[in-house]
Amino acid sequence: MRTQNATAYRFLTPYLLIFVVFWIWPIISSFLISFQATRTVPWRFAPAFNWGRLIGDPAFYNALKNTLLILVIQVPVMIALAIGMAVLLNSPLLKARGLYRFAFFAPVVVGEVAYSAVFRLMFSLDFGIVNKLLNSIGLPKVDWFSNVTPAMALIMIAVTWRWAGYNAIIILAGLQSIPEDVYEAATLDRVSKVKQFFHITLPLLKPVIVFCAVLSIIGTMQLFTEPFLITERGGPGGGTETLGLLLYRQGFRSLNFGYASAVAYTMAGLAIAITLVQLWLMREPK
Amino acid sequence: MAAVTLTNVIKRFGSFEVVHGANIDIADGEFVVFVGPSGCGKSTLLRMIAGLEDISGGDIAIGGKVMNDVEAADRGIAMVFQSYALYPHMTVEQNLSFGLRMNGNPKADTDRRVKRAAEILRIDELMQRRPKQLSGGQRQRVAIGRAIVREPQVFLFDEPLSNLDAELRVQMRVEISRLHKELGVTMIYVTHDQTEAMTLADRIVVLKAGNVEQIGAPLDLYDDPANRFVAGFIGSPKMNFLSAKVVDTSNSAAIIELVNHGGARLRKPLRDAFPAIGAEIVLGVRPEHFFEVGEGDCDIPVKADVAEHLGSVSYVYANAGPEELIVEREASRQRAGGDHFTVSIKAERSLLFDKSGARIR
Ligand SMILES: Nc1ncnc2c1ncn2[C@@H]1O[C@H](COP(=O)(O)OP(=O)(O)O)[C@@H](O)[C@H]1O
Ligand SMILES: [Mg+2]
Repeated sequence: MRTQNATAYRFLTPYLLIFVVFWIWPIISSFLISFQATRTVPWRFAPAFNWGRLIGDPAFYNALKNTLLILVIQVPVMIALAIGMAVLLNSPLLKARGLYRFAFFAPVVVGEVAYSAVFRLMFSLDFGIVNKLLNSIGLPKVDWFSNVTPAMALIMIAVTWRWAGYNAIIILAGLQSIPEDVYEAATLDRVSKVKQFFHITLPLLKPVIVFCAVLSIIGTMQLFTEPFLITERGGPGGGTETLGLLLYRQGFRSLNFGYASAVAYTMAGLAIAITLVQLWLMREPK
Repeated sequence: MAAVTLTNVIKRFGSFEVVHGANIDIADGEFVVFVGPSGCGKSTLLRMIAGLEDISGGDIAIGGKVMNDVEAADRGIAMVFQSYALYPHMTVEQNLSFGLRMNGNPKADTDRRVKRAAEILRIDELMQRRPKQLSGGQRQRVAIGRAIVREPQVFLFDEPLSNLDAELRVQMRVEISRLHKELGVTMIYVTHDQTEAMTLADRIVVLKAGNVEQIGAPLDLYDDPANRFVAGFIGSPKMNFLSAKVVDTSNSAAIIELVNHGGARLRKPLRDAFPAIGAEIVLGVRPEHFFEVGEGDCDIPVKADVAEHLGSVSYVYANAGPEELIVEREASRQRAGGDHFTVSIKAERSLLFDKSGARIR
């Protein structure tokens, strides 16, 4: 038994080495870097330098506020939308189901640069189809890129467009695992379709919905592509800057690795904290 | 309480007809079992009565009222599903009360009904558990309890015992029988297991490929099957079928020759029809209707292949030419494979079928 284990570990060594060097070590290393002043050579240990700055940095609070705002609005809206889409996909009345399933999933496979470019075009002030549509139903044009509120809305719309279908496919799998005869029993119990949805479907989907919500929270905490590419680096004037963007600016533009690490750890810590609260709120009774 | 009447009921899935005009009359308070091999349309019939499937043709009446276009919930029926179909996220108590709560039934009345069902099925102890935490038999009780709570006029069961082990099945069978006596309501019960049908039913409806083959009391079907299918389906072990040929007809009887048993002959008195001389027919003999040599009207020698000793009886699988016969012998412990022995057939304890399987009486 023992020699067997030893042999197994010898075979695992190459993988474990790579795992430690490229996975474990960067995590530890970046945590240590967050306690060092990295603007001077050589770097020196100064815990208050980054973490202290973080606590008082208005740019950090701005990014945090934007990130949480997007999280609080976009994630619930997207999950609700995804549930609706999944129910639609699961409906026996739907024709050409395969086509819809593909269409809902397609945004995930589209390259993010291409998708961002298309969104910029669609929402452009004078030529964008969105403003033309708004005009055609008698609403004023919206300057999506120059004002903070529309820019935030645009980010949320884009993220939702990109990930709602993905979540819908996951929720669809959950829907399909609910046996048909449970609904038949409810029908015989004179429970309406709407009540069946709220008292049977939703409770039974809870684990899947929690899963989707956790994935979305982690994703949105790291939100970067959309504010970087669509609203041009968190514009207007930092109005859509997220923690991910702040991290990028500090790490890649200012080469301030210590501060960037502190931001990164804050993001991860927040994602974990929010996820735990979420899991606790949605826990199985008893 | 209510009678259930099916008149020329037809079911098509697309252009594929699976029930071909069923006529079944079920009296108020009767326990009727639909039995037949898998895929013969038992569930489909039951689901049409429940209102879970549309009716393609004919009428279904419950309590004298045609129900074809009445919503499932308004038919006064309750159904117990094969897979139980309990609400997985609710406790037993919530499972029982769900339908009533959703319809604003007064709480006191809901509580009373739930309590009564729990008492009848002895599941009081389980009320706060979830289906996951119950055994198969307990889930089955909850499923039946949910039906009782609805206080229906007709209970429908779709193979409710097929997911239980043999011992539990016998126990639940007795309980369902007791429930029927206690509630006195009409019950329609679907199964592919003829033993369940024989033990539970007031009357059995035998189905085959979407056709009603015969309707009758269990022992009537056993003693007097209308055709070879019913004869073979009812009774365990199965009835033996021996190939035969008519060699003579005379004096309200047919003389038949058992072609696989060295030309053994049997004089079979007939009442209605006389097959033509030379016609190929089939003689049906139940395993328990082989008598000791000389006691019957026709002796045939056989060789035992295998003997199964069940204690009270033994079944000998015997070979005679190309036909294998199952012979019941009262606790013949000494009988073993390889033995040669002779069995005897009595004319009045055998049945005659023509080539198409119809009974010749
Ligand atoms: N929803 C359906 N669509 C098409 N064919 C069906 C459907 N349900 C049942 N059938 C067919 O109808 C026949 C009878 O089915 P069923 O009533 O379930 O049989 P049983 O309960 O006797 O085993 C089978 O041939 C089955 O394949
Ligand atoms: Mg069935």
